[in-house]
Amino acid sequence: MSDTRSLLILSSSAPYASQSARAALDVALTAAAFEQVVRMVFIDAGVLQLQPGQDNRKDGPKSVGKMIPALALYEVQEVFFHEDSARRFSIDVSAMPDSVTGINDAALSELVQKADQVMVF
Amino acid sequence: MKFSIIINGAPWSSPAAFSALKFAEAVVDGGHEIYRLFFFQDGVHNGSAFAVAPQDEVDIPKRWHALISEHDLDAVVCAASALKHGLLDAGEAARYDRTGHNLLPGFDISGLGQLVDALNQADRVVTFVT
Repeated sequence: MSDTRSLLILSSSAPYASQSARAALDVALTAAAFEQVVRMVFIDAGVLQLQPGQDNRKDGPKSVGKMIPALALYEVQEVFFHEDSARRFSIDVSAMPDSVTGINDAALSELVQKADQVMVF
Repeated sequence: MKFSIIINGAPWSSPAAFSALKFAEAVVDGGHEIYRLFFFQDGVHNGSAFAVAPQDEVDIPKRWHALISEHDLDAVVCAASALKHGLLDAGEAARYDRTGHNLLPGFDISGLGQLVDALNQADRVVTFVT
């Protein structure tokens, strides 16, 4: 796996409604570990993963929200949220991690265009 | 053309698994190459030797098995998903002290690195989701 290609991950699922949000993060981290260029966009119900103050009880699932600020540490360098989705789901944008940048439809379209592969979760 | 196919749905829970199976058969019939089948999330159930289809319905895991063995395809079930969903080969059953194993021959349990490799090596990646 020497050749470097770019992977765009669209994470469109709510954090605890299914395993998809977790799977998207796992794929992002694995691809980055294999030195792929990984970009990630939280879109549609996926922006709920960015909701601050996710309170995971000890016997519940692991916090998805807590993993997101750590993505940059694992070389997932570009992490975005879709601004319209955040508005629709009333996400408090000011409380989001600094490492997550808002994008509009045009910017999203550019990301899709320049990616070698796109995966939707 | 070289395809990687990602299957995220369990047989019978949604059309994803059967659509993926039909697509994979069409890829092979069309003279194209399948680089890898990657069974992810609920899709790992496609590799179950313990599923029994009703007599008048398509036995989806059995048909995957036939396709994989006939064309010697590379078929990987995601390790984390497989263990969670109770899809074990003999080695994993021994490692985790479980009383049986149910992974169909021809399927291999492996990690997400195989998915990244499949994304890299294929001309086209087609994902079947629920």
